[in-house]
Amino acid sequence: MECIASVNKLRLKFPEEKGLLFKDLSISFQEGEKVLLLGPSGCGKSTLLQVLSGLIPQSIDIPIKSESIQIPYSWGFVFQDPDSQFCMPYVDEEIAFVLENLQIPREEMTVKIKELLTTVGLCLDDIHTEIQTLSGGMKQRLALATVLALDPEVIFLDEPTALIDEEGTAEVWDTVKAISKDKTIIIVEHKIDQIIDVIDRVIVFTHDGKIMADGNSTYIFSNFKEELKRFGIWYPSAWEEYKKEKVQNTLTKHSDSLLRLENFRGYRKKENAITLEKAAVHSGEWIAVTGANGAGKSTLLLSLMQLLKTSGDYRIDGCSIKSFADLNNRAYFVFQNPEYQFLTNSVLEEITYELRQRNEESHADVFKKANDLLTIFGLKDKQKQHPYHLSLGEKRRLSVATAFIQNPQVLLLDEPTFGQDSKNTFKLLELLQEESQKGTIIIMVTHDLNIIHHFATTVWKVKNGKVITDWKKDDMKTGSEGDVYEYIF
Amino acid sequence: MNISFEESWLHKVNPALKLITLTFLFVFVVMIHHLNDMITFTFTVSILFFFCTGHSYKRILLFLIPFLLVFFSTAVSMILFGKGETTLFKLGIVNVTEESLFRGLHLGFRALVFAMMGMTFVLTTKPVLLFYSLMQQLKLQPKYAYSFMAAIRLMPIMFEELQTILDAQKVRGVHSQKGIRSLLKDIKSLPIPLLSQSIRRAFRIAVAMEAKRFNSTNERTYYYHLGFSIFDLLFIGYFILMISLGYLFATEFPLFPVTDVRY
Repeated sequence: MECIASVNKLRLKFPEEKGLLFKDLSISFQEGEKVLLLGPSGCGKSTLLQVLSGLIPQSIDIPIKSESIQIPYSWGFVFQDPDSQFCMPYVDEEIAFVLENLQIPREEMTVKIKELLTTVGLCLDDIHTEIQTLSGGMKQRLALATVLALDPEVIFLDEPTALIDEEGTAEVWDTVKAISKDKTIIIVEHKIDQIIDVIDRVIVFTHDGKIMADGNSTYIFSNFKEELKRFGIWYPSAWEEYKKEKVQNTLTKHSDSLLRLENFRGYRKKENAITLEKAAVHSGEWIAVTGANGAGKSTLLLSLMQLLKTSGDYRIDGCSIKSFADLNNRAYFVFQNPEYQFLTNSVLEEITYELRQRNEESHADVFKKANDLLTIFGLKDKQKQHPYHLSLGEKRRLSVATAFIQNPQVLLLDEPTFGQDSKNTFKLLELLQEESQKGTIIIMVTHDLNIIHHFATTVWKVKNGKVITDWKKDDMKTGSEGDVYEYIF
Repeated sequence: MNISFEESWLHKVNPALKLITLTFLFVFVVMIHHLNDMITFTFTVSILFFFCTGHSYKRILLFLIPFLLVFFSTAVSMILFGKGETTLFKLGIVNVTEESLFRGLHLGFRALVFAMMGMTFVLTTKPVLLFYSLMQQLKLQPKYAYSFMAAIRLMPIMFEELQTILDAQKVRGVHSQKGIRSLLKDIKSLPIPLLSQSIRRAFRIAVAMEAKRFNSTNERTYYYHLGFSIFDLLFIGYFILMISLGYLFATEFPLFPVTDVRY
């Protein structure tokens, strides 16, 4: 086998950071290898992909130094965010953009585009379809098609499924498996249970960008489990191990029904977008809202938060809720992108924002509360930082902390564990669990079956704009995991 | 964003040629100083605007509402307050003279013609084809053309994002108070999250484009080939013919007895 990509004694430093990210890192890849790069967030896995593809320093201006560097003759790159890797509005135009770059004659393009779409399993009636109408999984498969148009020897995949749902993830990996036959594939990914069978080499990085282990997957996962756990990597049996260590969520039965819904409807552009016939939720219940993409899960949460027009009977603690003002801080919504909700210039200001606005409690009380919460959330030593400068996991924790400080009776969350490593996920779930045991109702959109299994007490399934509430989580537990999966999707 | 329409012959006119012709006509309109010529030219443009864009009449009439508003507001202010010698009507500071009446009408028509020409262009030109045509006919550098196309793709995403940010901030109690001062404060809280997301996204798209081997110095082929056709001749011929006919008509049968509206 021939070496296809390598770097020798790489040194790289981000302009705004103090230390070197890589210090004399040497690594090489053989032709046809399927390699997975693992490591804690911020260890430089994605940066390494960009160096190996030559994007650094050609497109991204970061100075590097190395004794020698071998960039593959032809390569393709699939990025994390499905929405920010296309420059054209239509599917055919996007693939044509690559073909144009390669100076393929116009007459051959249409045939080629159709061929590529079939290869990645995107069967569209019309190749002139708007990219915006595709689901996340389809967008990433389109990205794979554009990569295949380059006829690459090496394909770099930088967390291609971090921002798409379970269904889309499966589609993307199936496609990768189908096309990977005689190609070299280098993957950075946190959630690895779906790809583990195609990988023949795993490289684990430490948090300061050194190689800790390099070998085949069985060797790595049997010998380095503790390290992987510490780094927050989703190794195959992460959930089982976690379950063994922690106590299960036991619901202390509250007989009251804090939240009642009857014939509840939410409207988008005057059209009925979500319907929930009847539900009574006790305090301390943890509801997982699940369902396929576009079924109306986010619409349900927006309606409950009164950000959309609604009709029907909706009561929290006996009070009828007809408008946003009626909620009067009884409910709080944590959006998927935490940055949307940040308003101030420091973590401490951020967490105390609402309390300072309301001016009901004394200054000292507010800051004591804030301090306690920041300690619990592990943000104490970051309190002077700008919220935008936090890591993804810290941003998420801060946005949940700003919810906790107000003690809402109902807490709505839109996929709070999306794209998070295992350490952050478990930490966040534990914090939510504590809160629910105090009596807060948690309503959370999630695709993660493990969360549904181990944390949720109730499952609401959304299908075609209807919420099905009358099935208990216990029903799910009896079936095997596969059955459950079918049941939900 | 998707609105249905029939493709008319105006869609088939070469976009770059259409752009140049209309730019030329914009300048031409500024140089018309005779009210009668202005009226016939307005007629020339409105035929295209009403009957040749391929959009439904309902939509065309809807677009016309703001245009008429522009027409009246431009015309009325000149009619009521403009200078002139032959007074027709006088009340307080309002002083309608024959000269200001004609000049007002003239300006109103000019505004109307500008609006209709612009709208006819927008309604009959796909942005992607316009940029392909600019690259092929006018040798626009691909790096500018593709940046614009990427920006156009991002606009609906940004609008969606704006709505989400408004909602997200409302949850935090930002948009709850009424009054002008808090409105200003609210507006201040929008650009930072919106810009931070947009800059990040623009940077990522740029990297993704280069990862797809986009290179502004290389030769490239084009998925859409844009050339010239009989429709281009028809488009230019239409304007030459109608402007000449209009000029003749305006001199032979003037609607108003004015020669030059300039004062």
